[in-house]
Amino acid sequence: MKKNKLVIFSFLLLSLGACKKVIDVKETDFIGGDIALKTVANNESGIIGAYAAMNVEMGILLNATLADEVKPGEFYNAGTTHEWQYSSQDVGLRDNFTAFNLYYRIIDRVNRVLVALPNAPAADATQAALKERLRGEALFLRAFCHFELYRYYSNTSVGTELAVAYMETPSLASTARITVTPFFAKLKADMAAAKPLLPSALTDIYRATRPAVSALQARVALYLKEYTDAVTFSSEYITALPLAARASFPAIWTDANNSELAFKLSRTPSLGGRIGSLFQGTSANSSAISQTAWVPSAKLMGSYDQANDVRFGVYFRTEPLLAAAGRPAQLVAKYRGTTYGTPGEHVADAKVFRTGEMYLIRAEAHAETGNLVSAAADLNTLRAARINGYTNVVLATKDAAITAIMDERFKELPYEGHRFWDLKRRNLPVSRLLADAPNANAQTLAAGSFRFLLPIPNPEIQANPLIQQNPGYTN
Amino acid sequence: MRKLVTVFLCLLLSLFQLQAQNRTVTGTVTDESGKPVSGASVLVKGTTSGTLTKENGSYSISVPSTATALVISGLNLAPKEIKLGKGNTLNVSLSSTVENLDEVVVTGYAREKKTQFAGAAAVLSGKVVETVPVGSFDQALQGRVPGMLVNSGSGQPGTSATVTIRGIQSIAGAGAQPLYVIDGVPLPAFDMQTINPNDFESITVLKDANSAALYGARGGTGVIVITTKKGKSGPTNFTYRTQYGITQAPDFSRLNLMNTAEMFAYEEREKFANTPGWTYSPNNPAIPVGMTAARKQFLYDSIKGIESDWPNILYRTGISKTHEFNLSGGNEKTNFFLSAGMFDQQGIDLGSSLTRYTVRLNIEHKSNNLTVRFNNQIGYSISKFSEGEQLGNSPRNPFQMTYRAKTYENPFRADGSIIFGASTPLALRQVGNLLEGIQNSKRDLNQVKLNSGLTVAYKVLPSLTLQNTFGIDVSSDQNSRYINPASYIGSLQQFQSGLAQEGYRLTSQIINTSSLVFSKRIANVHEVEAGAYFEVIRGWSKGMGLTLFNLDPRLTETGQGAGALPTNGAATYPQNSSSAKSGFGIRSYFATARYTYDNKYSINANIRRDGTSRIVNIANREITTWSAGFTWNTLKENFMANQRIFTDLKVRASYGIVPNIGSIATGGYGVPLNGIPNYQGPQVPTFGTTAYAGSAVVGLAPNNPGNPDLKIERIQKTNLGIDFAVWQNRARFTVDIYKNKTIDLFVNQPLSGTTGFGTLAINAGIMTNQGVEFTGSVDVVKKKDFGFTVGLNHSIQKNNIEDLGLVNEYVVGTFIIRKGLPYGSHYTTNYLGADPATGRPMYESPTGATVFTEAQAGQFAKFGTFLPKHQGGFNFDVRFRAITVSALFSYQFDVTRYDNTGNWITRGTLGYHQAVRASRALIDGQWQKPGDVKRFQSSAFDRGFNSSDVADAKFLRFRNLVVSYAIPTIKTASGTTLVKSARFYVQGQNLAIWSPWKGIDPEDNNNISLNEYPNPRTFVVGIDINF
Repeated sequence: MKKNKLVIFSFLLLSLGACKKVIDVKETDFIGGDIALKTVANNESGIIGAYAAMNVEMGILLNATLADEVKPGEFYNAGTTHEWQYSSQDVGLRDNFTAFNLYYRIIDRVNRVLVALPNAPAADATQAALKERLRGEALFLRAFCHFELYRYYSNTSVGTELAVAYMETPSLASTARITVTPFFAKLKADMAAAKPLLPSALTDIYRATRPAVSALQARVALYLKEYTDAVTFSSEYITALPLAARASFPAIWTDANNSELAFKLSRTPSLGGRIGSLFQGTSANSSAISQTAWVPSAKLMGSYDQANDVRFGVYFRTEPLLAAAGRPAQLVAKYRGTTYGTPGEHVADAKVFRTGEMYLIRAEAHAETGNLVSAAADLNTLRAARINGYTNVVLATKDAAITAIMDERFKELPYEGHRFWDLKRRNLPVSRLLADAPNANAQTLAAGSFRFLLPIPNPEIQANPLIQQNPGYTN
Repeated sequence: MRKLVTVFLCLLLSLFQLQAQNRTVTGTVTDESGKPVSGASVLVKGTTSGTLTKENGSYSISVPSTATALVISGLNLAPKEIKLGKGNTLNVSLSSTVENLDEVVVTGYAREKKTQFAGAAAVLSGKVVETVPVGSFDQALQGRVPGMLVNSGSGQPGTSATVTIRGIQSIAGAGAQPLYVIDGVPLPAFDMQTINPNDFESITVLKDANSAALYGARGGTGVIVITTKKGKSGPTNFTYRTQYGITQAPDFSRLNLMNTAEMFAYEEREKFANTPGWTYSPNNPAIPVGMTAARKQFLYDSIKGIESDWPNILYRTGISKTHEFNLSGGNEKTNFFLSAGMFDQQGIDLGSSLTRYTVRLNIEHKSNNLTVRFNNQIGYSISKFSEGEQLGNSPRNPFQMTYRAKTYENPFRADGSIIFGASTPLALRQVGNLLEGIQNSKRDLNQVKLNSGLTVAYKVLPSLTLQNTFGIDVSSDQNSRYINPASYIGSLQQFQSGLAQEGYRLTSQIINTSSLVFSKRIANVHEVEAGAYFEVIRGWSKGMGLTLFNLDPRLTETGQGAGALPTNGAATYPQNSSSAKSGFGIRSYFATARYTYDNKYSINANIRRDGTSRIVNIANREITTWSAGFTWNTLKENFMANQRIFTDLKVRASYGIVPNIGSIATGGYGVPLNGIPNYQGPQVPTFGTTAYAGSAVVGLAPNNPGNPDLKIERIQKTNLGIDFAVWQNRARFTVDIYKNKTIDLFVNQPLSGTTGFGTLAINAGIMTNQGVEFTGSVDVVKKKDFGFTVGLNHSIQKNNIEDLGLVNEYVVGTFIIRKGLPYGSHYTTNYLGADPATGRPMYESPTGATVFTEAQAGQFAKFGTFLPKHQGGFNFDVRFRAITVSALFSYQFDVTRYDNTGNWITRGTLGYHQAVRASRALIDGQWQKPGDVKRFQSSAFDRGFNSSDVADAKFLRFRNLVVSYAIPTIKTASGTTLVKSARFYVQGQNLAIWSPWKGIDPEDNNNISLNEYPNPRTFVVGIDINF
């Protein structure tokens, strides 16, 4: 029996002793959970991860094609969006304009940093400073992305109307939309908190700067019709970054200089995509020029003083090779990059804020507050900077001022993601020339149409029982 | 007188004594070959008293005077009833049968008597996989077991089939394979190429909760328990086996592709630009730039004269051969089985093959109360793949070029050399490039496999056994891929000079099971068995791999001499090598109990607690489940004693809950040529790197939100079964009905966009699988010289998604997961043919109207599912004297699959025509002019993937045929036995298939047919000699 007991005992010892940790085997080879955003450097990587997803191209295409900045070129498969026939299930919207997912993804990335950053130890003063800057960038990007969402899905200054959900922490729970007033309370708080944390120097405008916050604040104020704030914040930007001289204006678009720019998104042949290919495909070489999807509208091109306005030659060009081949030859040139078939074709940085826009914000705010002299002064300053031999105008009435300012926005800011939202914001229609419209029915989108707001995408309706669809869309 | 009285009384007494006393009968039980049978059961007929034979086959049983006969039965042997005569010695010879293998059910931890077995299991003899010429034995199981779907997705020698037992039971774990266990040691699925199935003695498929209960969380989707051969005490047996045969490509004519003349006519009719049939057509007034009319005509005539026969060029007749020796024997204390085998099969695809070498040693030693068993297999295999096959959707994939390549491409010059280079529609080089690629590339997997188990059992008391099994399974996989830098294909690689990839992975698993089992028979009618078990499993994976570019063109298959890589001005350069490791553990405690009354009623129950490191949340890591079963052996009832119809009638019922570890989603680590699973990835937020051009800092972005609340999904399994036999056991039947209900089903919950992610795996759904399974086997003729047995198994299986939590449906690839529909329901637009007026494609809109663009078309889920509802097999076994013929057919129906190939070859547009060889269906089936009522739209319009590509994939397959001749004992003139027995046979696998399917093979392991390596037809001749 003694032998038996020994056997039993050794069995038990063998089995129980060896196996306590067997159900606690950890995966060690991946970046996840607590270790992902452990150090300040990791958090900087997290912020760079957010910049990597940053996008203004979607807004550029939307404002160009849903408004009157372009007309169809050689191939046209965007009927549902260009002719305003979309529902929440529209494939054209899904493939090109799902801002809902895009911007919340960036927001989630910065929110993860905002959660992890306080626990990341700063080894020295440099790291402590970097930590502050990262927090500022996170808050700024959060505000920026929420404002983009607002422009796509809400775009109203009425405080009791629906904005979208303001996400302040990473969460997997379904969230309802909130109204404009609390939405902007949070957004403004983020901007105010971010501002002092960001560098005022413009040494690295590929990342957020203090003037960029001013610019966002000015834009927000304009959309909310808070004109005093709009004047204050746009003035901050204008003070920091004066208008470019006419001679240096073209180089902004070739990225040869950074005049007027407090924040732009870096784009290279290998990273970030080609903005110019929103309008024209990339070509194998100059003898096989790719098809053009969108060409500038006659309405837009016809609005310039073509001989004297520096913008006309920078924003548009005529391609003789295409003209010779009998193909549409007038092209959007703003993001041309390098020539056909080269790696840099259609590659250009995505400009987020420009002094030109700030002048127009301030002019509009002055006009709205009845200060027509200041409005005219801003408009004239901007025009003088762009147009050779410009003669100042006097704005006699508020309506005349607003009309002049809207026309100038059309001419100053095409393909920068403003037009469609400006029309909505001002309760104006989209009205295309018959020559620009794909057909007579697609010439006008009446002022106040529900289609000025995009529908909440169908997958969101399915996934989120708390979501509220925009008016006019049945699903 | 007094003396007389005494004698009388004594006589009387002794008479009484004779009547009252039992006598003892002894004897020896042997099998057909005269070898003693140990462990055979010897029962007094009509009673439950009995004994088992010893190692030398001898038995001794006490027989009451009332007894009339003994019933003797043994494993794999037909029971025999022997009348008790006067003598006290009865030697019995039993003949072996396959059918009676199911007298016991090997659940792996124990051999359970079928009379006590309450679960649902199918027991197969090792013979169903023995000598079948497939590299992976699981492929040979198709059509053998009702409720077990075995579908082969590739004809690559050694590739495993996908095995599904009683339906898909999980969405996230839809591909989870059953647990394979060899002699108690788990064998990873899809890793069969280095296992020699000729060593198998039995294969048991455990289908319900009760029978698989001892495997707990590992056996959620069923268990396949394999035992290997043992030696028998007695003379040593020496067997040599060999096989030689061929593998052939299947018949591709069902694709119904155009030949050159038809293609030329079609191209001309459709005026397809850049096709020789129109560009060079005499009816085309345009003459290509820089070409004379004469040259044009010459090209037209010469290309039209080319008629390449692709099946003959892209496939070969492969050679298949095996050699095997085995040695078995032993004495009362020790027995052994030793085998060494070689399997070598060339695939039908040029360059693909499997070569396998295996050695097995099984030893069992018994000494008093101690039993030690050692089962061990070591193998080495070399798998060669077609490099192009790995590329999937590519013109370098030979399976795709089977239907893509135009018959008017000529890949060979007059001297037989290959024409390769840049390919254009008018100067095709695609097959040339493919053939040049095959000649200049290599894709190999060398595997070393070890599967070994050691069991020590010690009888502490006669009724109490302490046992420990320790097992190891190790696979060492060495993958390589080379592209010759000096070849054309090598010049197309990154950095234009070949490619070398090496990937090494070591996967190992150990298992240790300790048990204490109490087993006692009380008062001869009460049988009690109770066991306590403790089990630990630990697995490890480690992988590493590298990729080299810019190889030295003087060397063809090496990374040696590889040149430096240009950085293209970048400050950093990405790494081209990687490594990763991972592991998991499972810990289980379980207890079982069974009570059997008089072999009439048997009830069992078990309870277990499983924990696994694969669940991150500590609160959810361990799970307790149970099962119970009941068996009623009705023939033991008195009221059945007088019936003469049934010779067996058992009723079984079981219920239990099985956790399903296999369905827990895993992530993966990227390692060249190998996958290393990340067991916890999907449960914690994981990050990946990303880059922003505006910063030199590497970006970090979450790529998976992680669900920290994940728990193991569970399957509630109910089974009711009946086994009965009539006609003196010549007709045997089993019927099972079951319902499996998966709860806490992993569902890919779509997330709100506000979360920043698309979906999250959560436990939210319910899925059911219900079915009926039938097995029947009838010995139609059973005579000494002639036997004829027919077997049939059929199962009906219905899957239903009952609940998906917050959502009602979501789309997975080409099918939809929708509440109320079975898993795998195809989800696509409904194609209505070509519009007679315009030739545009017509579709059904969501409201039922006819629309002409895909964007307006509705998507529907009314086209069936790719998992067959009905499947089964039937077999015929005919024995005439020494000749045996066995045929196996398998079938599946009520199944539809996506015929991607069919879509491409009937797409009918210029773009598709330039890329594929079109189907003849387009000749008469395509719209050409207003008024045509045709299936296919005009070539001016495209059609996309839609319901016209979802096709009936039912089939009946002549899976296997064996004709064998038993060669009698060969003796020398002096009487020495030279050959004890021998068998010569001819075998064919995948002989024929009948199906409405228009693609290459209706059988596949997934929803879409595209680029599969077709299953070959194999013929072999073989001989087994037993010395």
